[in-house]
Amino acid sequence: MKKTKLGEFEEFVLLAVIALGEEAYGVMIKAELEERLREKLSVGSIQSALKRMEEKGFLKSVFGEATAKRGGKRKRIYMATPYAQRVLEEIRAVREGLWATILKINNI
Amino acid sequence: MNRPIHPAPPSWPLKFLRLIIRDQYLEEIEGDMEEVYRDYLEQFPVRKARYLYALEALKLLRPALIKSPKISIQSNSPDMFANYLKIAWRTLNKSRMYSAIKIGGFAIGIAAALLIALYVVNESGYDRFYANTDRIYRLINEYSKSGNQEKWTAFQPQMVQVLKDEFPEIENAGRLIPYAGWFDAGDNQFRRADRQQNNYEEGFAYADQSLLDILEVSMVYGERSKALSEVRSIVLSKRMADKYFPGENPVGKVVILEERTGEPFTVGGVMADFPPNSHLQFDFFITLTGVEFWDGEQTNWCCSNYDVYVLLRPGVDPNILEPKLLTIRDNYLIKHFKEQGDPSADENAKYLTYDLQPVADIHLRSKDIGDVIPHSDIGIVRLFGAIAVFILLLACINFINLSTAKSANRARETGLRKVVGSQRSSLIRQFLTESVLYSGISVILGTILAWLLLPYFNTLSGKTLQLPWHIWWFVPLMAGVALTIGMLAGIYPSFYLSAFKPIEVLKGNLSRGTKGAGLRSAMVVFQFTTSMVLIVCAFIVYNQMKYILNKDLGFDKEQVLLIQGTSTLGDKWPSFKTELLRLPGVKNATTSSYLPVEGTKRDQNGFWREGRKTIDEDVGAQIWWTDEDYLATLDMHIAEGRGFSREMATDTGAIIINETFAKRLGLEHPIGERIENWRTWTVIGVVKDFNFNSMKGGIGALGFVLGNGGSLVAARLEPKNMPETIAAVNAVWDDFMPNQPIRYTFLDESFAQMYEDVERTGNIFTACAVLAIIIACLGLFGLSTFMAEQRSKEVSIRKVLGASVGNLYQLLTFNFLKLVLISLVIGTPIAWYLMRKWLADYEYSVGITWWFFAAAGMMVIGIALFTVSRQALKTAFSNPADHLRGD
Repeated sequence: MKKTKLGEFEEFVLLAVIALGEEAYGVMIKAELEERLREKLSVGSIQSALKRMEEKGFLKSVFGEATAKRGGKRKRIYMATPYAQRVLEEIRAVREGLWATILKINNI
Repeated sequence: MNRPIHPAPPSWPLKFLRLIIRDQYLEEIEGDMEEVYRDYLEQFPVRKARYLYALEALKLLRPALIKSPKISIQSNSPDMFANYLKIAWRTLNKSRMYSAIKIGGFAIGIAAALLIALYVVNESGYDRFYANTDRIYRLINEYSKSGNQEKWTAFQPQMVQVLKDEFPEIENAGRLIPYAGWFDAGDNQFRRADRQQNNYEEGFAYADQSLLDILEVSMVYGERSKALSEVRSIVLSKRMADKYFPGENPVGKVVILEERTGEPFTVGGVMADFPPNSHLQFDFFITLTGVEFWDGEQTNWCCSNYDVYVLLRPGVDPNILEPKLLTIRDNYLIKHFKEQGDPSADENAKYLTYDLQPVADIHLRSKDIGDVIPHSDIGIVRLFGAIAVFILLLACINFINLSTAKSANRARETGLRKVVGSQRSSLIRQFLTESVLYSGISVILGTILAWLLLPYFNTLSGKTLQLPWHIWWFVPLMAGVALTIGMLAGIYPSFYLSAFKPIEVLKGNLSRGTKGAGLRSAMVVFQFTTSMVLIVCAFIVYNQMKYILNKDLGFDKEQVLLIQGTSTLGDKWPSFKTELLRLPGVKNATTSSYLPVEGTKRDQNGFWREGRKTIDEDVGAQIWWTDEDYLATLDMHIAEGRGFSREMATDTGAIIINETFAKRLGLEHPIGERIENWRTWTVIGVVKDFNFNSMKGGIGALGFVLGNGGSLVAARLEPKNMPETIAAVNAVWDDFMPNQPIRYTFLDESFAQMYEDVERTGNIFTACAVLAIIIACLGLFGLSTFMAEQRSKEVSIRKVLGASVGNLYQLLTFNFLKLVLISLVIGTPIAWYLMRKWLADYEYSVGITWWFFAAAGMMVIGIALFTVSRQALKTAFSNPADHLRGD
């Protein structure tokens, strides 16, 4: 857990990648997060988060199909690695543990 | 296919992205950007979409996405660097001749540029050593009337007091009389009161106590604040104190000038020698305290004999002060002229203004100011600066030319390096390293060369320059120069060499040496144009010099012996003269300090025709005090009337005027006319105009009168047996003046000294021209050798097919000759223009004729042809089999 170093924004991007599944490429991830976070995001912020996480081993990617809308350029589809899945689970477990404690205290 | 038509995004963000985004991300990000842009287009107007798109592109500048700056540590490693140096060394050794030309040419260029830079720095660093440099000014008169502008530095005696009393802006003001021949200013026989032996010394001037304070003169003995405050005090320079009072404190000691034992001076102090970069270079300051040169002199506004220096209070703007000073003109000067009955005083005075010249400008910016301080000219200094830059450029060009020309030989190496994985950037680095190495060697050699040549350069320039080793920044500066020039000179060759495509190079497809030929030609043209211009300039400067020295001056300057310091003869002069004339080699002798050579005694006066003093404007003229034999001794010609005669007692009131004077006075028949200055004179003769000042100016008005002309005896000698005559003169002198060694010069030498600056300019031009042509020829030699090598196969084939040596020679030289001819065509008008400007300063100048250009052109062609011929002939005569055997 210590060495994972997953930032908050990175965590959102990572979750969005998993949620989008086959459709997880740059613009789509951006749209998804913009909707959920209710704020404008730049291509640069999404892309740099993706690249950083790919480097850290949270993501892997393959080229997808090219569309006319993309000026004939291929998409890059991102997938979370099992390592990322595990880290996310751990984070979630930690959070839930904490929340459980909080709730317990408040209820008493 | 049905393509949706939509406005394209701006193109520059994409170009920008391609440049900086990592290649492996580019496709994806470009796609994303395109998609985002389409989304924007649906939501916003086109303009806004395009704007947002550009903004989005800029937001992609994130460390994770952009290329890392590729200063890869690997190729910068010491090992690689060592390899570069090793290869550079091998290349240098492999073709020694090219390396020698490259480095030698460069070193010569650097040595020349260094020397000239020293000169320029020295010239522009005058009078900046005062603590208050920016507050010290010299006062200048400016008289501008109908387009004529005259400036001079002499003021009336009371000027300084008025300045101090009436202008709170002025902290201090002081006077100086630097005018040689003005009473004791200039040169004198000098001795301690307790010694008998007289010595001739130069560098006397009169000065106020306040001048010492303004100029911050530092003292070795005595206090500055009191050094000149006593009547009849004198300040010596340290070198004079060391000479006359070795090991003693001279303050309070008595000295005698010109054997006038009744009027001794007391040493008030010893000042440090003036630094060489001061415009003033005096060894003796005689006080002006209590001095009045004649009755009423100090209170009269008639006569201007004092240079005025002022120290402004901090923060005073001289431009604002200058117009305020005009009250002096209005309150004192005009008043004086009105009292004299000059009706046009008001009218004339309005053309007169006062300027304040910063002390640091005196040395270089006094060209149009009439003063007696020797100085240079900013134009000449700039010119030499430009020449230094040009010579350095020529040397750089050689370097670039030879590097690119030889590049074909390095092509294989470049190709191979690329094949084994060298980046272009590391190749550039390699060639730059090489170039810096070369320039480093050149700078070291050049500095050594400059150091060796410095004594000669000092003779040439009349300076005492030194390489500033003691200044901490000199060595770093030279290292910086080596690095910068190495980089600059190496940048083109390195980009050129590193651009070779490995496949073509290794296949041997490189068209050897033809690439970049246009640029090389342009550079050769530039070099030879510069050489041509410099050669023409040197030619013309020399001819001007010769012209001046040999022009008919209106008197004969040859074989005139000048014996100086003769005022100590006193009453013995007539018998001395008799003894002189008794010598068989002496034709004639006269006494007068007024000589037709600049820097000797002058006396400028205003003249009127008799009785018209209050009606006409005055005619300014020299009045020279001579004896009856002056005209005969100097071989001047009487145009009308007669010379002075001993038989005519009335000649004491007689004047002989020159033609210009007669013209200016408007006298058609001058003989018998009467003219006046402070007394009346009768014109008895008209002497033909002769040049009595530098030929930069015209001939002024001048009159001779009888009287004591001062401390110089001129004797015309027979051209035969000169050494014996001089020995005899010496013996006569020793009889008369056993305590004063004879000191003599010749008039033609003094005359030549007047044009020392012209000669100096000519010498430096010649040196530069020689350097330029050497450097240009070194380059041309290298290039032609290379070309001849390149074309050896072509030449061999031509030879086999029957071409004669003559044909081949023509083939190999024609290209170069063409370039040189183009240079001549370009250089001629430039040289013509420059020289016309230079000669415009001279009233009498040698015309610029076609043969200067023809001669310079022939010279350039000759030298160029000679340079190219060696290789051309060698190639043309070679055995074709030698070159063709290999293929």
